[in-house]
Amino acid sequence: MKMYKIFPRLNPNRPLASFPLCKQVPLQQRKQAKGGTIVDPVHEFIARKGVSRRRFLTGVGYSAGSAAALALATGCGGSRTPATTMPPPPATITDADILNFALNLEYLEAEFYLRAATGAGLSDTDAGSGAGAVTGGAQVTFATPAIQQYAMEIANDELAHVRFLRSALGSAAVSRPQIDLTNSFNAAAMAAGIGPMFNPFADENSLIVGAFTFEDVGVTAYHGAAGLLTNKTYLGAAAGIMAVEAYHAAEIRTLLAYIGGNYLTYANQISALRAAAGGGNEVAVSGSTIVAADSNSIAFDRTTDQVLHIVYLNATSGVVKSGGFFPAGLNGTITATAS
Amino acid sequence: MEITANGMNMATQGGLGRRAAIMLGGAALAGLAVRRSAFAQSATVTDADILNFALNLEYLEAQFYTLATTGKTIDQVGIGITGGDGSAGGSVTVKSGAMVPFTTPLLQQYAMETAMDEQNHVTFLRTALAANAVAMPNIDLMNSFNALAQAAGLGSTFDPFASETNFLLGAFIFEDVGVTAYHGAAGLISSKTYLDKAAGILAVEAYHAGSIRTRIFASGSAAQDASAKIAAARASLDGTGNDDIGVGLSGGAATIVDADSNAIAFSRTTSQVLKIVYGGGASGGAFFPNGLNGTIK
Repeated sequence: MKMYKIFPRLNPNRPLASFPLCKQVPLQQRKQAKGGTIVDPVHEFIARKGVSRRRFLTGVGYSAGSAAALALATGCGGSRTPATTMPPPPATITDADILNFALNLEYLEAEFYLRAATGAGLSDTDAGSGAGAVTGGAQVTFATPAIQQYAMEIANDELAHVRFLRSALGSAAVSRPQIDLTNSFNAAAMAAGIGPMFNPFADENSLIVGAFTFEDVGVTAYHGAAGLLTNKTYLGAAAGIMAVEAYHAAEIRTLLAYIGGNYLTYANQISALRAAAGGGNEVAVSGSTIVAADSNSIAFDRTTDQVLHIVYLNATSGVVKSGGFFPAGLNGTITATAS
Repeated sequence: MEITANGMNMATQGGLGRRAAIMLGGAALAGLAVRRSAFAQSATVTDADILNFALNLEYLEAQFYTLATTGKTIDQVGIGITGGDGSAGGSVTVKSGAMVPFTTPLLQQYAMETAMDEQNHVTFLRTALAANAVAMPNIDLMNSFNALAQAAGLGSTFDPFASETNFLLGAFIFEDVGVTAYHGAAGLISSKTYLDKAAGILAVEAYHAGSIRTRIFASGSAAQDASAKIAAARASLDGTGNDDIGVGLSGGAATIVDADSNAIAFSRTTSQVLKIVYGGGASGGAFFPNGLNGTIK
């Protein structure tokens, strides 16, 4: 295994110990690391979200959260809407609602990877009628053929997911919402403590960090959705897409472990930010923690609420309807957090 | 365990054609539905049956990774292998001194992580099944690899513990199969709780597969070519000839992901999985010389 001969920058002998978030976690410590949540530079919302993690699945129902909770703002960007404007929760979540929720996330991933790999995003046909505009994104100047080949594969996969879901949903498919790939990453970088700006399209290693922002989230989103789908055929398809997102996530995490250095540090700062907004459910990347899973080695799942808090880059408890990667919110019926 | 030239060719073409394939859209959904209903009619399986089927596969994976990283079997490191009814666990056929001579710390660390994950899966399923848990069946990690190597055209013998590259290929043999097995099982599980757990294990197996395949891609054309032959052999053994893709390149894109033209991971029925782990045998063989324990075997 001489990956660094193919990717000269991926020298496994590069010391990682000088970076506080990259320390090699002994295997016996991983169980604790998985259950807890890594470094938390933002807030204590992990515990709060953790408590409510299964609410959506178990059908306990929606709650607007207390005024006190709403008063807590984390400064992660995005907008917070007063509880008085909270939309009534849909009476029943249909399979179409869930698949459209997933379609929004696939639009985001497809735009990110297609622009990085090819310089062009989704076609008008693939984006749907009246699609929202996309801000940012540019073809990466690849220095390593293999990384370009990885990016091209994932771009193809995410495009296929968009097309598959649009086809499965037929006329019920939502069009692409507004997507921001510039201000979102800058806001995420600021909130994560990376700095005032982060351009994932600047170079191939930055692209890997940008990719890391999405992939584990996709796994947890599909995992959480699996229990909500009633149609066995859709369940099978969703499980298959989840598996593909997990292949991607492992690929990205493996590359990060080899790249090391500041890029690995950035990725783990992003992981901590996701944990703060998304109910914990994170394991920092290291050579001995490629898989993001709990102490039973079962992958995490997230409620739609937790996923929305992450993609809106807003850990504020309460109703959040837009922000971050989706400046005008998602399209469909699952668009606002309930708590 | 014969592999027809036709079967090999079909699998190879499937591999090369994934990215170029035309979108099937609704047709693919219909195909999934047919596959599932066809299986559902074949038997009445309980959740315990499905989880025990998975437990057999986890015993196999846990033994492989634990031996590769420590030279010991899982019972020697404290993982239970007896049945919930007290029945004794089976034996493991493996060369002496199976610990892989790792030279790359990042790969050794990953191998240890995977060993821990598979041990956790064994323990989790045994705990969930409690008195219903099956004992570990007899497992063969020596003759099985030799036979599979011959079937795949990789030579007359194959020792997955001999080197880092061989370890990667040995791991490759299992991981994608685990993904397809859990994927196929998802639609069969009636309990929402178990479905959630099975989906989470499915994702972890896909993480493993994705990491292994990334490392095979990076180690060069020889390992990539071997993975393509193994994928073709798996597809041939399960009877489809077209549900597996090796690691390589297709139209300027890598093939790290083992998925269909909709970028949806493949799914296998329990009988298709059995054909692979039995090496084509009807009631046992290859990795499980005396078959699985439980009702699905």
